[in-house]
Amino acid sequence: MARSRNDILQGTLALLVLKTLDAQGPMHGYAITAHIQRVSADLLRVEEGSLYPALHRMAQDGWLRAEWGTTEKNREARFYEITADGRKQLAVEQENWDRLRNGVARVLRYT
Amino acid sequence: MSWFDRLRNHSRDDDVARDIDREMAFHLAERTDDLVGRGMQPDAARREARRRFGNLGLQKERTRERDLFASLDILLRDLRYAVRALRLSPVFTIVAALSLALGIGANTAIFSILNAVMLKSLPVDHPEELVAVVRSGGTELTNPIWEAIRDQQDMFTGAFASADAAFSLAESGEARRIDAQWVSGAFFSTLGVQPAVGRLLTTADDYRGCPATVVLNYDFWQSEYGGERAVVGKSIRFDGHPFTIVGVSAPRFFGAKVGRRPQAFVPLCSQAVTDGPNALDARSRWYLQVMARPKPGLSLQAIDARFAALTPGIAEAAMPTNWPPELIDGFRKATYTVVSSATGFSDLRLQYRTALVELMVVVGLVLLVACANIANLLLARGTTRRREIAVRLALGAGRGRIARQLVTESLLLAFIGAALGALFAAWGSRLLVAMLSESGQAIALDLAPDGRMLAFTTGVAVLAALLFGVVPAWQVSRVDPQAVLKAQGRGVSEARGRLAMGRALVSFQIALSLVLITAAALLVGSWRRLATLDPGFRREQVLLLSADLRGAKLSPDERDASVNRLLSRFRALPGVRAAATVAVTPVSGSGWNNAVSVNGARVVLKRDAMSWFNAVSEDYFKALGIPVLAGRDFDTRDTPTSPPVAIVSQSMAQKFFGTPNAVGRTFQTMEGREMDAPVTVIGVVGNTKYRSLRDSLTPVVYLPRAQGARGDERVNFVLFVEAPDAAMPTVRQAVAETAPRATITMNTLERQLDRSMPVMRATATVSGFFGGLALVLATIGLYGLMSYSVARRRNEIGVRIALGAERGRVVRMVLSDVSRVVATGIVIGVGLSFAATKLVASFIYDVRRNDPATLSGSALVLFAIGAAAAAWPAWRAASIDPVSALREE
Repeated sequence: MARSRNDILQGTLALLVLKTLDAQGPMHGYAITAHIQRVSADLLRVEEGSLYPALHRMAQDGWLRAEWGTTEKNREARFYEITADGRKQLAVEQENWDRLRNGVARVLRYT
Repeated sequence: MSWFDRLRNHSRDDDVARDIDREMAFHLAERTDDLVGRGMQPDAARREARRRFGNLGLQKERTRERDLFASLDILLRDLRYAVRALRLSPVFTIVAALSLALGIGANTAIFSILNAVMLKSLPVDHPEELVAVVRSGGTELTNPIWEAIRDQQDMFTGAFASADAAFSLAESGEARRIDAQWVSGAFFSTLGVQPAVGRLLTTADDYRGCPATVVLNYDFWQSEYGGERAVVGKSIRFDGHPFTIVGVSAPRFFGAKVGRRPQAFVPLCSQAVTDGPNALDARSRWYLQVMARPKPGLSLQAIDARFAALTPGIAEAAMPTNWPPELIDGFRKATYTVVSSATGFSDLRLQYRTALVELMVVVGLVLLVACANIANLLLARGTTRRREIAVRLALGAGRGRIARQLVTESLLLAFIGAALGALFAAWGSRLLVAMLSESGQAIALDLAPDGRMLAFTTGVAVLAALLFGVVPAWQVSRVDPQAVLKAQGRGVSEARGRLAMGRALVSFQIALSLVLITAAALLVGSWRRLATLDPGFRREQVLLLSADLRGAKLSPDERDASVNRLLSRFRALPGVRAAATVAVTPVSGSGWNNAVSVNGARVVLKRDAMSWFNAVSEDYFKALGIPVLAGRDFDTRDTPTSPPVAIVSQSMAQKFFGTPNAVGRTFQTMEGREMDAPVTVIGVVGNTKYRSLRDSLTPVVYLPRAQGARGDERVNFVLFVEAPDAAMPTVRQAVAETAPRATITMNTLERQLDRSMPVMRATATVSGFFGGLALVLATIGLYGLMSYSVARRRNEIGVRIALGAERGRVVRMVLSDVSRVVATGIVIGVGLSFAATKLVASFIYDVRRNDPATLSGSALVLFAIGAAAAAWPAWRAASIDPVSALREE
């Protein structure tokens, strides 16, 4: 797959998803979107269209485990759970993010 | 993602699609609920949910693409693109597919023969269990040895002996030959063959004094009896002896010998009927091949050990009585071993192995040349497709994706080539087998495609696709969309890269072509030399007639009289200038040799004491135009009771008597354990080739027929006639009138010589054909390269001409360009030839394999082809109009 501008976004999305699942336990896709939106106080809005490809890819990569289950409203939903590999990846992504944030902050501070 | 996951994804294709649908439906439902909860109308909420989700179909695709990475879907799409791309350039597609069809087809054809001769298992029960019993020093055994093994062994669940047989179905006139096989009783049960009709032979049919019975081959039964079931119990006459048909073997079964297709199986014991009562006791007739199925759990080593213990008993029971002591000693020491023999027996393996390997290499090289050609064409096409690819890259296609697309195109092309090639192979392999069969002995091979052949062809096609597809794909992966789009496809640096790659490919082609045409020149040259050399006798105008007199049931004296009558009859025919008999027809592949002693000392059976022998009637030398150099020809003075005499070849006189004129000298040979009476030399004749045209002019001793071949049942006549083919009916008529019970076969000496080297002929023909093909491909490659190079340099050449360069200079420039490419190829090719011509060493005649004249001849041909291929581009370069060329800039 071609690397494109979306990469950064996708990278961030993975970080957000992994972090959410790590903190909250198993969740379905919709709950993940809702959680990120709520916790970020509506600053971040997950592009719904990119969420599912990202979830599938992360499942393929072995960072997530996916399983069908029922919600409290008795709807069928696919629940995602973070794996040990996913936790390792979370640490990596977190570090990358910190580095990126530091870098950007330094550049912005420089006048 | 591991290949396993991908595979799982393939099989779960539908599951995955359903999963994605369900997941998205859930998401939309939740979102709608949420929006409704905030006071939206359900319809509006659904629309809003959808809008937020984005393009549903695209999302599904993207999600799926993740899951079904490299899935069948993409492959099919790639294939559709590939078909479209190939259809866009039909000329390229046709040229490429045809050259691949020839290349892959030729490989498949040779491999199918190699497969049939060397690799295929016998079509019998558990062929892998079968073993051959062989004796140190030869695979053939005598009947007494076989009987000793049969009666003493306890290692096998079944064991049988078999041997080739040939009968005539006709009892007079032209012989109708039928290939058959002598088989011992356990033949069918050991191989596990079922009857199609009636029953098969069993051990109960094979005993001393058995009646003559026969099992027919299925095909023979079909062609000769139309599949008539009532054939059982009928009788069929072989060489005039009635054989009772007991059954028909299963279809497809052809015995244990690859390359032969016996039409009938007759019990070994019935040899006493056709060949006389003593035939089964012949202790020095080596003709049986023994095969067995070991008892379960018995290793080959264990069997060998058992045989070691049995050997003295076998030797005792089967010892030849009349052998000289030194040979008896060797007989005693011979050991018996078993070798795994799933592929059966074959005389062809040894005979064809070198030829098949040589041809395999030739066709392999041809395929490489074809691949280089296609790679070159693809490169040229890549240049024109640059823009298309640049646009696709600019639109966001991944390079890997585009490379994959190009590889798919190559694979598609290769498989089209392979499919066409399979047709070509089916035709080509049959043609080649027919060519190899022409020496009189028909070769029957099972050329039907099997799994191994399919795997081979597929493998070759994939390999070819990689060979010609990888370089262009790699080049494309280096396309810089910005530069290409900006430069309107005139990226100079990249064009240079393409040109350099093209040059390398064409040089490589030239190198391989040099190897191919050098090999072809060596082989075809050798073949020509053999076909035209002076064998020491007359090639043309000689009619060969072989008469089988057994049907008439005559005594030896009567047979002799009959032969004499035939001779005088032939001599009286119009157009016949001389007629004679000969025991061993020259260059027929068979021979008769014996040790010679010239000083009365005991004959020693050593190689340098050996001479070839022959027995001829008077006029033989006249009929074949062999000069009598001293002394006299045989005549009526030489009778069975007169003192033994001989005529010798000049080389025999020189070797054994040290003088070209040996008339009056004597020599002795040995018959059994006793020395024969001294033989007086009465004449010396010119040297001739004896067994094959390749032989040197070896010593030959000619004995008079009256003393050396009296009373033979099969007599070969040689007739010196004005027109051999025209004389055949007259001669046939003469035989019918003079010896009505004789069966005959006729041929001309010229044809027999032509066909005496089928392997050589086939190798030379095929190598010559593919050498020519390689030249054609190399010419196309050179022409393409030069045209492209001139088109590239149009501006530069325009400038040169504008600045006053003469047209001749421009032509020279182009020609020197092409000769650099050719010269590079030749230097590499000469190096390769030194290694490659080792393979043809065993075929070539009267030339060294690294013959400098042949090599430089091949190089010259390639230069000439280079010049020819460059002529048109050079002329075009010279006629470039500088004004228009410069204006284009």
